[in-house]
Amino acid sequence: MSAAAAIGPPEHPGGFLAKSVRDQRRAAIGWAIGIAAVALLYASLFPSIKSSSASLQSYIDKLPDALKNVLGTNYASPAGYLRGEIFSSMGVILLLIFAIGAGARAIAGEEEDRSLDLLLSTPLRRSTVLRDKALAVAAVAVALAAVLLVILVVLGPAFQLHLGLAELGAACLMLALLACAFGAIALAVGASTGRRVWAIAVAAGIAVITYILNAVAPSVTGLEPLRPLSPFRWYLEPDPLLTGLHPANVAVLVGIAVVGYVAALVGFTRRDLAA
Amino acid sequence: MQQAAPILADALTKSYGKSRGVVDLSFEVRPGEVFGYLGPNGAGKSTTIRTMLDFIRPTSGRILVFGMDPRAAGATVRTRVGYVPGELGLYERLTALEYLKDFAAFRGGVPSERIDGYAERLKLDLDVRIHELSHGNKRKVALIQGFMHQPDLLILDEPTQGLDPLGQQEFYAMIHEARARGSTVFLSSHVMPEVERVCDRVAILREGRLVTVDDIGDLKAKALRTIEFHFTDPVPADAFTALPSVVTATAQGDRVLLTVRGELDEVVKEAATHTVVDVTTHEPSLEAIFLDLYADGATT
Repeated sequence: MSAAAAIGPPEHPGGFLAKSVRDQRRAAIGWAIGIAAVALLYASLFPSIKSSSASLQSYIDKLPDALKNVLGTNYASPAGYLRGEIFSSMGVILLLIFAIGAGARAIAGEEEDRSLDLLLSTPLRRSTVLRDKALAVAAVAVALAAVLLVILVVLGPAFQLHLGLAELGAACLMLALLACAFGAIALAVGASTGRRVWAIAVAAGIAVITYILNAVAPSVTGLEPLRPLSPFRWYLEPDPLLTGLHPANVAVLVGIAVVGYVAALVGFTRRDLAA
Repeated sequence: MQQAAPILADALTKSYGKSRGVVDLSFEVRPGEVFGYLGPNGAGKSTTIRTMLDFIRPTSGRILVFGMDPRAAGATVRTRVGYVPGELGLYERLTALEYLKDFAAFRGGVPSERIDGYAERLKLDLDVRIHELSHGNKRKVALIQGFMHQPDLLILDEPTQGLDPLGQQEFYAMIHEARARGSTVFLSSHVMPEVERVCDRVAILREGRLVTVDDIGDLKAKALRTIEFHFTDPVPADAFTALPSVVTATAQGDRVLLTVRGELDEVVKEAATHTVVDVTTHEPSLEAIFLDLYADGATT
């Protein structure tokens, strides 16, 4: 190396954010391939589903109300099909697994690996580390939703999935925001406790319970007033695939993400790190 | 203006659930010295260090680094500090060079030839992924990370664990150079010959409390030493037992074996009243001092 070459900010614009994004890159590529494959698989099945819609409809009619509430009931339409197969099921599962895992790992994972000590022995502040790691996770969540959007917009029409860009874009954005909301919950628990398992357990537990709440609330008297407590209610109703973006719904998911982030910041900056 | 002490502990207390932690520590590390922080595992060495870097916060009392509170002025403090932890947590997927470049960037840049220089001296291949490195070589990555920005204060927590003898020699040379540059070194260790070799002063820690802070030389002067006199004729031990500096005296034929603390003057004068054939004395090792201090603590 030349004597004049200095290793420093010029090579690393953005400093820690650049590293945080780089750390996510490998996992992000894997998740993107997985999501693209799932999107392609389900899209390619649509023509055959559509042609057998009569028998399918009789099957759907027999499903429990709770499932119909979430998955929708109109599998013969592109919007109904994508809601049932991707936006209320596989897509949600994949994005949430990514976001909760990455949110839990961000602080608690580094702490358990003991690499956090060295990181925080540099002039980096705890708040900077938290912010840049959170931004990197959010960026990947948005990128994964964008991959889904691109596949559906570009290849969807080849499989008779004709949908407006605004509606598809809205659904993908809401999916990214849902992932950010649950990622922020995992981040908050992980950053406040230093325990990755707790972070995953709490965030995944809340996801499962509120998913079920949203599904059964319309059919169970007494639960309906609790339905607004479920992030899935704001994610899915009204259906963005049919009606596009609703600012109030966006605000609720963004609000959960912000509250989770602030809780992580407060929890992380005030406590002792694990030895 | 007088330079603030690199480290000042003032009644520093950190309590954990039961035993771990430190109690009422007060000591000062002076600019430019190599300060040994000695104690067995679990004595509270790492706990003290973790308060300096704001990883943990004191229960009471305070610790100041360059006169600043590590919590309030942490980032400013840490620009002047290099840290090598006892328990390594490196980013195993990166190569050593990638790792060091990242850390150089967090510190606002380090000349690349300096990283190369340290790697060459320590015989570390920078292009190998960290997970493929031996424990000793990982230790070298951590050492370069701590030294490469030539900080004003090096905080080293058991830094030679797992390091090969050549690496250790190089490490001692690096400490020497840092000191020559005017840096201050805080070296925690349970390896006594190491501390004896590189440190100017030592603090000895026992179960979270400070037993002593002293110059290594003074510590040795105050320590128990053994002296064996060989006389031409048998001499009774009683002649020495009465002297205030003599702790024990045993006679075996024409030899008298003494353990002495402090001034030797009276002992030598008493011996000189007999005909001395030979005298053997052993410079006390820090290890012996350490065990002696521990024995004192245990009986009180």
